[in-house]
Amino acid sequence: MLKGLRRLPSKLLTIQPDDRLTLMVAGVMVGIASGLAALALNRSLEAMLEFVHHLSKYPWAFVVPGLGAAASAIFLDHIMKEGAGHGVPEVIYAVSRYGGLLRLRSSITRLVSSCLTIGSGGSAGPEAPVVMSGAAIGSNIAKLFNMNDRQRVTLVGCGAAGAISAIFNAPIAGLVFVLEVVLGEWSIVNIVPIALASVAGTEVSRFFNGNQIAFSHAGFDIGVADTVAAAGLGLATALFSILLTRAMRSMHHVSEGVKLPKWGRAAIGGCLVGLLTLLFPDVQGEGYHAIREMIVGAYDGAFQLAAIAIFAKILATSLTLGWGGSGGIFAPSLVVGSFTGLAFYRGVTLLWPSIPLVGEGCFALLGMAGLISGILQAPLTGIFLIVQITGGYEVILPLIVVSAVSTTITHYFEPASFYMKDLVDRGQLLRPGTDARVLNDLSLGELIEKDCLVVSPHMTLREFVDVVKRSRRNHFPVEEPESGDFLGMVDLSEVRPYLFDTIMYDAVVVEQIMDSKVKHITYGDELAEVLHIMDIDGLFSMPLVVNRRFVGMISKATLLDKYRKELMVQTTDNP
Amino acid sequence: MDTQLFHIFRNTPTGRETFLQSIYFCHLLGASPVVYVPKHTKFLMYFEKDVVQVDLDGSYLSASETAEKHARELAEAEGLEPKFFNPKNFTASTLPDIPVDFDFMCCPRSISDLTSKIGLGYIGSRVRRIIRSARFPVLISSPSFRQWHSVTVFFGGSGNAVNALKLGVRIARKTGVKLRLFTQVEAGMTRDDYERAIIESGLGDDMSEYVDDWLLFFGGRLEENLYDVPHDSLLVVGAYGHGLIRDILFGSKVETIQSVMPNNLMVAGPNYVDHAV
Repeated sequence: MLKGLRRLPSKLLTIQPDDRLTLMVAGVMVGIASGLAALALNRSLEAMLEFVHHLSKYPWAFVVPGLGAAASAIFLDHIMKEGAGHGVPEVIYAVSRYGGLLRLRSSITRLVSSCLTIGSGGSAGPEAPVVMSGAAIGSNIAKLFNMNDRQRVTLVGCGAAGAISAIFNAPIAGLVFVLEVVLGEWSIVNIVPIALASVAGTEVSRFFNGNQIAFSHAGFDIGVADTVAAAGLGLATALFSILLTRAMRSMHHVSEGVKLPKWGRAAIGGCLVGLLTLLFPDVQGEGYHAIREMIVGAYDGAFQLAAIAIFAKILATSLTLGWGGSGGIFAPSLVVGSFTGLAFYRGVTLLWPSIPLVGEGCFALLGMAGLISGILQAPLTGIFLIVQITGGYEVILPLIVVSAVSTTITHYFEPASFYMKDLVDRGQLLRPGTDARVLNDLSLGELIEKDCLVVSPHMTLREFVDVVKRSRRNHFPVEEPESGDFLGMVDLSEVRPYLFDTIMYDAVVVEQIMDSKVKHITYGDELAEVLHIMDIDGLFSMPLVVNRRFVGMISKATLLDKYRKELMVQTTDNP
Repeated sequence: MDTQLFHIFRNTPTGRETFLQSIYFCHLLGASPVVYVPKHTKFLMYFEKDVVQVDLDGSYLSASETAEKHARELAEAEGLEPKFFNPKNFTASTLPDIPVDFDFMCCPRSISDLTSKIGLGYIGSRVRRIIRSARFPVLISSPSFRQWHSVTVFFGGSGNAVNALKLGVRIARKTGVKLRLFTQVEAGMTRDDYERAIIESGLGDDMSEYVDDWLLFFGGRLEENLYDVPHDSLLVVGAYGHGLIRDILFGSKVETIQSVMPNNLMVAGPNYVDHAV
């Protein structure tokens, strides 16, 4: 044994850092950092809301959300020079196209700007900004350690997961959200570091805030009627998911039509929210206070008031985010969902008082899951988030039903989720292992074949045949000898009859047999586009021509060969 | 003619000088100018390991209606057909992504500051980050257009200097102009040491074929010795080394050169990939 122990130090020296282990350690670091970022935003929001609360007694208080939104836009556009957006789509875009590369400044900008918007009373949530911040932290830690694309993407996921886990005290929700929404892939390589980051983020939150359940309740005794009713609630939440998605987008288009600087538009949106708040105080800020009341059954508004509150919150959120405020849609979705659940319960019990439903608090909770599942089209995120933030596993069956129905119906009318709609419209949602992603990761440069023999238009067929004998290819680019300009192509399969007719050898020149209207590619063309042209026209290869000069051939065979290799790289489980 | 030089066009008299430099370079090298007429003051360049946000000086958006016409006229006067780049991908609606697979990029000493602030000794932070991250070398143009009739490579024996020499050979080979080496010999080093470094990096044959002159200085201050470099020479330098500290520092000799010399400067960063022609 002593002999074994003596050997131990030398053995320790030979231990090489394993890539997976490195990723796990880095994941924990990122989880802690993003947890701290989430905590910082939470504390700042609390302080700011307390300060702003004192102003609510003044008649001019409605301008406060406007001032906050304007300050947020000025901070983003003029001080930090960051392009505005909702945060999460930007993270998904970076993961899709650029191996998770995110700017360092993004780790701080959205925290401050969303704090200004939400803290002043704007209707938005802090979750998307902390996801952005956590993801940017992960991306930049990966850069610091010189990690590759796959590792960087995993750390981006770790950052997002740590942030969501910390802000909701919900590690599984953080993990599932990242895998389902942000990365769109479930692989062992990702799951382990992201799970550890979720734990780290949650522990940071618990260390400073204690192990608090965001929306605790007394417990629900779920029956069959509740599970059946959940299907109906799923329909309602799908409806409001679609409405919220469309309202946000149309409000964005309306605001773009207003010829004012961004901060001016944000101020208008904020002031309108301020006015709306005078009628419906529950629409301001993140709105968690109203959710707590609804879940414990203490919300005293009537059915009609709950129903109107749904529309008011949707309007307030659209005015805040659509007009240039900063923040996310997570929290507003939870509020709209809980109002929907409450209104649904009250509506059903009003129409059929004999149905033995468990209680309005439970339906408020189910409504939240329905809205989150619908708007994100991520049923697992909806289910696990609500289970964890309410501490209620007993509602799992109706939760599954409401989430499934809501996701399905919403998907039917809105094929892409709120976060991905823009990306899908622009063809920029490139999930790993998909055709679009593989083609995106290949470049024209790596496909060029430069072994074509160039011929002159004045060459006789006899001379051309000599060139054919020396060539391994069927395509011959024709170039003007003096200028080097590309004139066309000779395709052997098209001119074969001439090649065996020796009488033609001195009578025909290349210019007469070449195809001068050949379709060509140039730098900047997307490979998906190139492949599409090849498919439509039945081509097996196309010339690459830049500035009237022939550069090389792009062939389908080489493309598919590289495609296969790239697909293997993207789908193997190596970090 | 598949070599491409990327140029961000500024439709001002100063911008014209920079563009003339790009066109001259393309003309000599047989490269195609890819011209970007910006519509937003910001854009992103996603490199392999870094993303660089470039915040352009507002003058890049001036007189946008005539920008393309002006650029085309200047290029066509030299027999070049410019390709105008229109961004296809956007990180945010006002934040286009610019590809990074060009062979060269040309820019003034700073692209984020007012022209009045730009002078010798100043290279903007964005230009530095592009140099640090890019696989292509960056042509930093002199304030006003000037032709160059030779290439001077600053060779100090390091990895970046080898990169610079490869780039210098590449330019000399394509243009046929005279290639000169400049070496400020460090204490304890001899000419043999530098020659060995060149041979070990596989550039021995290129050295004997293309290098016409080698300015070796065994003493004196670098600033003073630089007087021997012709005023009409394109200076080729390698910036940043590898390793944590060197990744941060541009290089003391490069700083001196860019502070003293008004010539056009071609800088190869640590990630420069030699596309041997």
